[in-house]
Amino acid sequence: MTVTKLRWIILIISFLLLVLGGLVGINLGGFLPTFACPYIGGTRGGVCFFWRFQYLLGLGTWDAFKVLGELFVYFSLLVILIGRAWCGWICPLGFLQDLLDLVRRKLHIGYIRFPERLRLGLRCVKWIFFFIALLIPLWVAWPFFAPSVARDMGQPYCQLCPGKYILPLLAANFDVTAVNFSSATTILMSVLGLIFSGAVIIGAFLKPRFWCSYCPLGLFLSWYKKFSFLKLKKDCQKCTMCEVCYNVCPVEIEQVFKEREKEDVTFTECNLCLKCVEYCPEDGALRATFLGKTIYKSTSKGFFSRQEIIN
Amino acid sequence: MDQLEKRKGRFARNMVRSAETVLTELTGSPDLPEGMGYFIDIMRDVFVNQDRSVISTRLQGGNNKKLIGTYCIMVPEELIYAAGAVPVRLCGGSYEASCIGDDFVPRDTCPVAKAAIGFTSLDLISLYQMCDAVVVPTTCDAKRKMGEELSKFTEVWMLEVPHVKESEGARRQWLEQLYALKKNIEKFAGRTFITRKIRRKKLEAAIRMIGRAQYQARRLYEIRMSFPPVIHGRDAMLAINAYSFDTASCWTDAMTRLNNELEARRQKGWFVCGKREPRILIAGSPPIFPNWKIPCLLEEMGAVIVADESCMGSRYLYDPIGITEKSMTDMMVGIAARYIMPCVCPSFAPNEDRLFRLLQMVEEFKIDGIIYYVLKGCVIYDFELIRVEKIMKEKDIPILRVETDYSLEDVEQIRTRVEAFVEMLERKRFKKKGG
Repeated sequence: MTVTKLRWIILIISFLLLVLGGLVGINLGGFLPTFACPYIGGTRGGVCFFWRFQYLLGLGTWDAFKVLGELFVYFSLLVILIGRAWCGWICPLGFLQDLLDLVRRKLHIGYIRFPERLRLGLRCVKWIFFFIALLIPLWVAWPFFAPSVARDMGQPYCQLCPGKYILPLLAANFDVTAVNFSSATTILMSVLGLIFSGAVIIGAFLKPRFWCSYCPLGLFLSWYKKFSFLKLKKDCQKCTMCEVCYNVCPVEIEQVFKEREKEDVTFTECNLCLKCVEYCPEDGALRATFLGKTIYKSTSKGFFSRQEIIN
Repeated sequence: MDQLEKRKGRFARNMVRSAETVLTELTGSPDLPEGMGYFIDIMRDVFVNQDRSVISTRLQGGNNKKLIGTYCIMVPEELIYAAGAVPVRLCGGSYEASCIGDDFVPRDTCPVAKAAIGFTSLDLISLYQMCDAVVVPTTCDAKRKMGEELSKFTEVWMLEVPHVKESEGARRQWLEQLYALKKNIEKFAGRTFITRKIRRKKLEAAIRMIGRAQYQARRLYEIRMSFPPVIHGRDAMLAINAYSFDTASCWTDAMTRLNNELEARRQKGWFVCGKREPRILIAGSPPIFPNWKIPCLLEEMGAVIVADESCMGSRYLYDPIGITEKSMTDMMVGIAARYIMPCVCPSFAPNEDRLFRLLQMVEEFKIDGIIYYVLKGCVIYDFELIRVEKIMKEKDIPILRVETDYSLEDVEQIRTRVEAFVEMLERKRFKKKGG
C-alpha cells in the first residue's frame, strides 16, 4: 500500500469521526488541533481548539483562562505527537480539498501555480487571520469601545473560516451556510466568510490544498515543528536536486530540494503528507522520522513502481 | 573540388579504421558480456558499415518517421517520441570529423563541436544527413555558436537553456521554451492534421517508455557498484552511448538482457578483475564514441573504470521524470524539471550539485582515484577542477587531470602519466590495507 492510499484511508476515517461521529456518540474533546468544526452541530465528533481558544479568551474570566490553559496542554501534546500531520492526514477541510483535487485530476485538467512573488505576498494572510483570532476576543472580553460591535464578534476568526460554512453542509446541516442578518457586524462577517468559502472551493479545485497556506491554525501548529516527534529529513548528499519533491508538493515548498546543509526539512507550511518521500527517486534521500527513528524513506525502486514503469 | 573529394575520402577511410580499432579492442576482451554485442553492432552500423537502410530500419522502423537530431542532454526526447518522430543524439566524437570541422570554427573550439560540424558539413556518416532538423541547446559557448554554424547546413532550432537554474523566472522561461519546442515538433513531425498534435496519452506513453530505459540504465549504474566489478567501464559506457543511435524501446530490451547477464555474473562470481585493481571515476568532459582513447587506455593500464559522470554515460539516462497526474501541465512541468534541475553540466552556475554528486559517487562506488578528463577547449569543466580538487583532497582521493583532444598523437605521453597514477593508487591501496 502506498502512503497516499494510507493517507486517504485515514482522511476518510477521521472525516467520518469528526463530522459524523456525534451520531454514534463520539466526542473527542474540545482541544483538537484540526478543523473539527463546532458549527457542524450535533453530528460533530469533537471541537476545534481554535474555537475554544477564542471562546474562552472572549469570556475574559480567570476560570476561563484556567480551562484554556488546561486545554492548551492537551492541544500541545497532540501537536507534539505528530506535528502538522494533523493538517495533512486528519483535517476534514483538507480532506474536502483533496477530494476536489482528485476530481480535477480525473478530468485531466492542469493545476495553477502561483508565482513566487505572489506566494510571498500572500504569506501575511494567515498572520492576519491569526491576529484576528488572538486580539479581537480580548476586545470582546473587555469592550472598552463599541461594545455592541464587540458583542457580535464572538469567535471572530470562526465567522470568517471557510470550515464553518463548508463543513456543516457535509453533515446535511444547511442552516449555518447563510448570511447572518442579526446585525451589521454579523452580516459583514458572514458575507466575508461566504466569500472565503467560495474562494476555497474554487481555489482547491485549481490548486492542491489551496486553503492550507492561509490557515491560521496551521500556522499555530507549525510553531511546534522543532519539538514535534514526526519530522521530514533529508540526506543532502544523496539529493540530486531533481525538483520532483517540489512538483508533487501540494503546498509548493521549494526549500526541500534547495536545502543543502540542514538535515531537518520540516518547513512551516509542510503538512507532512509525505508525498515528496513517496516520489523521491533517490534511495534514502528523503525520509520521515518519528522520535528520530526512520519510519518511511524514499527508494529508487519505489519511485519506478509508482510511476508504473516497473511492477 | 577534386582535392576536396580526395581529402574527404581519406578522412572517411581513417574514421572507419579508428572506429573499427576501438570496436576490435572491445570485442577482443574475454570478459566482454554477450549482451554487449547488440550495442557494438549499433556502433559498427553507424560508423563502420554506414548502411543507410540498416540505420533507417533500426530508427525509423521502415516507416517514414522523421529523425530529429539533438545535442547535449537537455532536449526532451519524450516530446519527440510523442510526436511520432525519433531523436538521435549527434554529439560528435570522431577525430577525423573534428579535423574537417577545423575549417569552420576557431582553433580553440572543443573537439565535440568541431566533430559535429565536420559530420554535418561532409557526408562522413549518413546519420547526420538523415536528420531532418536538429535541436541545439544553448549550454556552453561552443555548443551555442556551433548551433549557429550548423544552420548553414541543416535546419536548426535553438533551445535556450537558463544558466542559473535555481531562480523561478529561469525555470518558468525554460518551461515556455519547451512549450515552444513542442509546437515546433508538432508542426514538423505530424504528417496529417490529426497525428500532428502531441496528445496527453502519447506523451504519457513516451514518458513511460523512456522511464523504462532509465530504469535499466539505473540498474546498470547499480551493477557497476559491484566490488569487484563485473563489467569494464569502457563497455558499460559504450552501451549507454549507443542509446544515442537507437530507439528507446529496442535499447531498453537489449539493456535488460545485458543487466540480467551481469547480475547472473555477479551471483556466479565472474568478475572482470580482482579486488586489487584501482577503481577509477572518470569525471569531466564526456568521452564520445569513437573517441574511446582514455577509457581504453585506463583499463589497459590495469585500472578499472567503475563510474563516470559523463553526459554520454551515467548521467545520460539517470534522472527520471516524476509525475503524479496525467494532465498536460503536470507532464510538461515534470519534463522541464527533469532536463535541467538535476543536470550537473558545468554550463550551469552555481553548480554546487555536481560536487555533492561526485562525493556521493566516490562513496557509492568505492572510488580510489579520479581521472579528470578535459577536452581541449572545454573551459567550463576545467574551471570546476579547482573545486573538485578541493573537496576530494578532504576525502583523500587523488585526481589526475588529463587534457587532450581526439588525436592519437599524445597517447604515449598520457599512457606514462596514467601508468604512474595507477601505480600510485595501487600502492596507496596496499598501504591502507597494511595499515
